[in-house]
Amino acid sequence: MTLSIIAVSIVATAAIGIGSWGVRLARTTSDLFVASRAVTPWWNAAAISGEYLSAASFLGVAGLLMKLGAAALWLPIGFTGGYLALLLFVAAPLRRMGAYTIADFAEARLGSPGMRLVAAATTLLIAGFYLVPQLKGAGIAVGEITGGPYAVGVVAVAVIVALSVGLGGMRGITYVQAFQYWVKVFAIALPACILLIHLGGLPAKSALFGRDLPTAPAGGLVVELEREHEVRFPRAAAYTVDGVPARAERGETRSIGPGTLELEEGTTVPVATGIDAEPGDDWSRPVAEDGPASPLLVYSLLVATFLGTMGLPHILVRFYTNPDGPAARRTTVRVLGLLGVFYLFPVVYGMLGRVMTPELYVTGETDTVVLRLPVAAWPGLGGEILAAVTAAGAFAAFMSTASGLLVSVAGTLSFDVWGRLSGRPRPRRADRRRWFRIAAVAGMIVPAAIALVSRDLDISLLVGWAFALAASTFCPLLLLGIWWTGLTTRGAVAGMAGGATSATGGILLGLAIGADDTDVAGALLTQPALVSVPLAFATMVAVSRLDLRGTQPTEGQLLSLHAPEGLGLRARQAAASAEPVELPRSGP
Amino acid sequence: MSGDGARRRIPRDELAEATALGDVYLRRLRRAQLGLSLLALVAFGGLIGALPLVLFLVPGLREIDVLGVPLSILLIVVPPYPLFVTMGWLYQRRADALDAAFRDLASAREDREDRFR
Repeated sequence: MTLSIIAVSIVATAAIGIGSWGVRLARTTSDLFVASRAVTPWWNAAAISGEYLSAASFLGVAGLLMKLGAAALWLPIGFTGGYLALLLFVAAPLRRMGAYTIADFAEARLGSPGMRLVAAATTLLIAGFYLVPQLKGAGIAVGEITGGPYAVGVVAVAVIVALSVGLGGMRGITYVQAFQYWVKVFAIALPACILLIHLGGLPAKSALFGRDLPTAPAGGLVVELEREHEVRFPRAAAYTVDGVPARAERGETRSIGPGTLELEEGTTVPVATGIDAEPGDDWSRPVAEDGPASPLLVYSLLVATFLGTMGLPHILVRFYTNPDGPAARRTTVRVLGLLGVFYLFPVVYGMLGRVMTPELYVTGETDTVVLRLPVAAWPGLGGEILAAVTAAGAFAAFMSTASGLLVSVAGTLSFDVWGRLSGRPRPRRADRRRWFRIAAVAGMIVPAAIALVSRDLDISLLVGWAFALAASTFCPLLLLGIWWTGLTTRGAVAGMAGGATSATGGILLGLAIGADDTDVAGALLTQPALVSVPLAFATMVAVSRLDLRGTQPTEGQLLSLHAPEGLGLRARQAAASAEPVELPRSGP
Repeated sequence: MSGDGARRRIPRDELAEATALGDVYLRRLRRAQLGLSLLALVAFGGLIGALPLVLFLVPGLREIDVLGVPLSILLIVVPPYPLFVTMGWLYQRRADALDAAFRDLASAREDREDRFR
């Protein structure tokens, strides 16, 4: 535990150190564009990967694998695939247009100031939804590491991130996030490899791939329950609570705790409500006839994550840090490789966790498996050192993503929203810096408050929501905006509204009727992208076609999106549009 | 302006002045790039998209044991990622080549123009 605190402190200190070094480095250059030229594709790719690999990837994938089974392994494929889609359709044109944010892109492409506000509002919504799970992950992880209460972790991380972004650390953030990527890869890969070697391969294969349910390991299982837990016994079991023996029949649901639950070796572990107790051969099925692994749900998940990645605002602004269009393409190819390396390892934690930390099935806290596993699998100093390493990685995960998100929130609030509402779209630089700092603090308050009250919400739900919103709004806006000349402002607004409404409506309805995502109807509600994205595309096209005002002349915009560099066309474009420089965005 | 002193208009001029001809040049590039992207998407979608269906229709993959892990799990844990990088790399090369060809065409001097006619 002390080791973990030390490891986390080292990562935090190193991040702050690199950040302040980056700030000094960036001050020697006159503007953002020159600074961005200094970012080579490798640094930039590591920074994008560092920002992208959030708590949902570092903790969530392994946790979901433990909880849902092998169907969760489609998630990282969709996450990575979304990057391929970005490469194919968005990376180079978006960089060439020189837009700083999606709001910038929307206004420039459609020639409508109103579009900026619509896109800015959507950015805030998506980034906010994505920020809450990061803070939740922080609360859980810090609680695990220090043993302190959940709220302390959330508030501490919210304050650290808000201060570091607000105090002007965003110039160095590329270097910080690149560093944090390598911390995360090291922190997920090293313990996974060492634990596999220590255990001599995967243990208890019958619980993983055979007929068995998770059982109490050798020496019995002791679970400290801090509050009352409702658990279901998949098989008849004898257990004791605070030393008082009891017996549950097969399929019985009981409320246990607070207290100490003890199970003898080999007893089938009871599972928290909301988790399906599956024998190994069902659990390890990537695709099955029914349940969360049914083909329709797998495709729905793939489509949702694939399209959602394309619309994540904090990722899109990163393309501007590339020197030009071809560099944006090269960076994205490297991101694909870096993400792939990382996603090879969460599966190890999910599998070992099913065998070594079955108590997480009782409490339902499978999201903490990456943090808990090392000590459970290797009691003693070795496990504690490895636990310190994963704790540091988790800390890097939510720090880098939260700061990237907050930068995009603060940039949108201070420039796109405040700049318009105050009637001063071209403020002085000093004003802009002050607004940005205020926005960085203000933008953290609401997500932190939501994170504080939503402790028992599944960490993956809000990420799914953010992805569904991004997929149903920005994805069609970008794809049609870049590749279709017929898009009009009315069409774009109608499509985004339709997509956002159907995605949010589906998720809210799913929550209201308590739909679980193990049947088709419930999954389409909790994961509505399969329906809402085609709806958004269709609405955009249909309303644009019917729009009596017709399309704006688009030659100039298309030229700036698609014409290659080196023809001397872009310099004229940039001068004509008088791009604002020195904007506080997420890259140097 | 006639005779030897007049510089022949090259496609770049049409693009810079946003003439109808320039628009045609640019549309051709846009179509070519979109075609390439869609081709890559179909190839990628075909390979990754077929994976759930293959695993669903060939349950026997679960029985094949590779290094102690069923092949059905290994198939979705390892090969997709090198595939992503390979597809991305192939696409990037072709897309850059299309850009380069357009650049040559647009800035073509008189003596090089015939190559692109």
